Amino acid sequence: MRPYRVFLFVLACLGVLAVLCVVLPHEIVIGERTLRWPTLAEVFGTEEAYTRPLTEVEEENITIPDTLPSPDTIPSLPEKPEERLVIPKVKVDSTSDSRIYLSAFYASLAEAGARTVRVMHYGDSQIEEDRMTQQIRQILQDRYGGRGAGLMPLAQTIPSLTVRQELWMSGRRVNPAQGPRRYMVHSFKRDQRADGLYGPMGQMVYMADSLVKGSEEIMAVCTPLDGRAHYTRWQVFADDSIDYTFAGDTVYLRGKGAVYGLSQESSTGIIVDNIPLRGCLGTVFTKMDNNQLQRFYREQRVRLIIMQFGGNAIPSNRNPGTIGAIVSGLRDQVRYLQHCAPEASILFIGPSDMLTQTDGEWQTYPMVPYMDKLLRKMALEEGIAYFSLYRWMGGAGSMVRWQEVGLAGSDGVHFTRAGARKAGNAVANWILEGIDQAQSAATTQL
Amino acid sequence: MNFLHHIFAFNEDSPLLFTQFYFWAFFALVFAVFALILEWPMTNHQSAISNRRLHLRNVYLLFVSWFFYYKTSGLFLLILAFVTISDWLIAGRIVKSSDSRVKRFLLCLSVTIDLGLLAYFKYAYFFTNMINDLFGTGFRVFDIFAYVGNGFANAGRFSVDTIVLPVGISFYIFQVISYTADVFRGRIRPVKNILDFGFYVSFFPQLVAGPIVRAEEFIPQLYKPYRLSRRWFGVAVFWILNGLAKKIIMSDYLAVNLIDRVFDNPLLFSGFENLFALFAYSLQVYADFSGYTDIAIGIAMLMGFYLPMNFNSPYKSQSPQEFWRRWHMSLGRWLKTYLYIPLGGNRRIGFGTYFWWSLIAFVSAALTGWWWILIPFGVFICIVAVVNSSPLRERLGVGSLKLLYSNLNSFITQVLGGLWHGASWNFIIWGGINGIGMIVEKIWREMNWHWRFACMTLLTAGLCVADYLTNMPVWRLFAVWAAIIWVVTAVRYIYFLCEGAENKFTQAMGSAWAIAQTFTFITFTRLFFRSSSNLDPATANKVAWETAKNMVNQIGGAWNNAIIPDFLWNYRWVVAMFIAGMVIHWLPTSWKRRYRLWFSAMPLWLMVGAVAVAIIVIYQFVSAEMQPFIYFQF
Repeated sequence: MRPYRVFLFVLACLGVLAVLCVVLPHEIVIGERTLRWPTLAEVFGTEEAYTRPLTEVEEENITIPDTLPSPDTIPSLPEKPEERLVIPKVKVDSTSDSRIYLSAFYASLAEAGARTVRVMHYGDSQIEEDRMTQQIRQILQDRYGGRGAGLMPLAQTIPSLTVRQELWMSGRRVNPAQGPRRYMVHSFKRDQRADGLYGPMGQMVYMADSLVKGSEEIMAVCTPLDGRAHYTRWQVFADDSIDYTFAGDTVYLRGKGAVYGLSQESSTGIIVDNIPLRGCLGTVFTKMDNNQLQRFYREQRVRLIIMQFGGNAIPSNRNPGTIGAIVSGLRDQVRYLQHCAPEASILFIGPSDMLTQTDGEWQTYPMVPYMDKLLRKMALEEGIAYFSLYRWMGGAGSMVRWQEVGLAGSDGVHFTRAGARKAGNAVANWILEGIDQAQSAATTQL
Repeated sequence: MNFLHHIFAFNEDSPLLFTQFYFWAFFALVFAVFALILEWPMTNHQSAISNRRLHLRNVYLLFVSWFFYYKTSGLFLLILAFVTISDWLIAGRIVKSSDSRVKRFLLCLSVTIDLGLLAYFKYAYFFTNMINDLFGTGFRVFDIFAYVGNGFANAGRFSVDTIVLPVGISFYIFQVISYTADVFRGRIRPVKNILDFGFYVSFFPQLVAGPIVRAEEFIPQLYKPYRLSRRWFGVAVFWILNGLAKKIIMSDYLAVNLIDRVFDNPLLFSGFENLFALFAYSLQVYADFSGYTDIAIGIAMLMGFYLPMNFNSPYKSQSPQEFWRRWHMSLGRWLKTYLYIPLGGNRRIGFGTYFWWSLIAFVSAALTGWWWILIPFGVFICIVAVVNSSPLRERLGVGSLKLLYSNLNSFITQVLGGLWHGASWNFIIWGGINGIGMIVEKIWREMNWHWRFACMTLLTAGLCVADYLTNMPVWRLFAVWAAIIWVVTAVRYIYFLCEGAENKFTQAMGSAWAIAQTFTFITFTRLFFRSSSNLDPATANKVAWETAKNMVNQIGGAWNNAIIPDFLWNYRWVVAMFIAGMVIHWLPTSWKRRYRLWFSAMPLWLMVGAVAVAIIVIYQFVSAEMQPFIYFQF
């Protein structure tokens, strides 16, 4: 082959591909699959996709504002016809701060010197391993006292950054996933209970219903890994039929019945519980027994409930109607928790920016901005506080920058530990700022 | 304009990659001029024309390669130019010198400069971190080049607190070392023209990711006229398409849709999902790396240059040793020629062997805090030294010591090979595990069936006891693995007792079993292979170790058979891609050769059509929507 013939071949290939870019349709839908082919404009980089990642790549440590951006920085919705939606106007002044709905929690902090004030952080996989919660706990406890990691399940199947747990049954160490029978409100039907008695964590284990036969005694060794997680007292939440004793970091349980959770904590100050519900949309609280929840929230002086959900609805839903239905379901959960814990404030943390690949480019899922707006609207209408992780991160495409600096994983959905720390810090500081603002407002009035 | 700007301006976020359209536009432009140089009519004497054309071609490709490197690495082009000049000058001096001590000194000087640069750019964080760990100091890296650069340019333009790794430095440093060493040994004559030498060092298809071309393989091609048969042209096009398909379909698709998310957060997934992702990662690494080198080989071939094969279906290997002869072959050959054989190979051990073993033991003890390991190591080295002493060696005969020498030197080669792959402990552990695997396999091969069965029985029993007593996932994993091997060993042992010799069927089954075991072993070592290179070594080690630990915990502990059908169904495209990739990989070599030749014999118009269809198919994987997260375990 002479070089010029090779060149002509290369040229012919590029030419045919260019012609195909002109001739072929951009998308062909075949069943559940969509075949795509770029346009010439896309190939030559003259056409920008509708949600490009932010072009300005910041320095290694992203400077992220500690306060929410003003509403006019909220990214506008896509211009695609099927997604051109009418967002009902929110009947709240756009400059209002939803932290006013945390006033009950703020007021309860005055008691923290004499007794406990409990904060329960429910969320999806974004808070697994005590991520985010650890930072919130640390910052609140630094200011208002309190120690210990708070609630944990008897069978901790997902390791925590704060407490290492070992489970022993009949003198043998067992894998928590293969040990006692677990029931979870957000799991498959076979792992759910008809009576709704899951306890405050949405999961429980039933002793003597174990995979390890003949085992009616369980020993759980729960060692704090973080110096701040050292506690001064244990609490065990279980049926009356369960006997338990403590020795150092070890709790011995004997009997037949349900164990809803263990808690390492102090007798005063703030206790912050991490309750991850993997893969959960957040629409499961109404399946939990209200009497049990009411009793727990009342007796344990739960004054703040943090709900961090919404992310699991994003990847599989492109339809605004479905997102609307899910937010409507979340509204029911908020009302249910308000009913169960009338003395507690509720803070809803919306989903973070989340990425998918379209035409080989990382882009924000189309429904993230919409979900964020609907959740915010719902929160304000229900009288609960709302923290928009999505907007705080910087809006559409911000997750790309988080990935670049090691704050987010390569899946474009989950934070790394460093990212979770940053997000946890932001949430905690946002809460504390609200206290400072409330105090300065009170001083001004005086 | 935007397009042209994209092609010619340096942007560290958009290097020229083989998988992007911009590269192919660049290549078309480069090839247009390349063809012009070779086809332009000249009227002078034929041989003079030919030589002038070749020289012009080489110079042209040198500058194209430098432009390519500039697009990829910006001002690090100066480092490439520096090692080119330095090694060319030193190699020239080596040839001119008649004193062997001077020659040796010049070789050492060259290697010191080359490895010094590599150490500085690639291992500065690693060494700083190691010193800080050993002595409790708090040193931080300081980029002297950035500091000097700031003196010339605007102050503060370059950050002195971070050392950026120049792209491809590990590859071209090894190439220049091979040149100087080959000149020193008299295996090649030095290149007279520095521009020709520069072309050898920086030839753009293989500059950033290999294969590592040894001087004796490539330099003679500089002086040969362009020659590309019709069949080789077709093969070149095939390699390019093959590489693109491997990189985009097998590697990127699997990575984005499953592997990355599992490795990022193993605890979100069950044991089965973790295990599947680990095996898929083995395929991904292979497809990624070999895909890139396939494209490089194809492009070079179109320009009339022949690069060595770099991968030869490595997962067909029946032993770890064979694997390393089929995987990254150009690196394996380099390490063998310039490290393993100088250490003594399987013929001797000397100062180098003792030095490296002592260093490995000392550093391992210091960093783990297990100083007691120096005692067994010391005893071992003393025994080796005694065995290697002249009287004993003569009595035993060098032949019987070959296994010992070979194992000691190949272990060092593996550990240092691991360090070449990345500057953190997990790569050294990875290299070490591979070294151990090779040693164990060699010893196993030397055993008869009675010993094999006895050893396997003892090992399996030990691991089962450890699993029972501790109930820890890692022991469960090893126990199950050993039990599977024990069952097969027992069957083969019984067959051996009954039949004595193997027939064709049992030999074939034995080969399949050896391939499966080698693939599984190599896959297991991959637990330590994956590490984010943009992290400092301390973080990289921590992340890699945590990932490996969590994956082992899940595989050994959180196995959940009930979710396997759900997983296989919901991830059916990913699973199908993995199976297809492995099936293609395991196709007989003769089949692969046949379809390659069939493709290369296509009429050109049909080949253009085939290229278009292939690109359309590949693009579907680029543009495919991501597999959504599905949780099977709560």
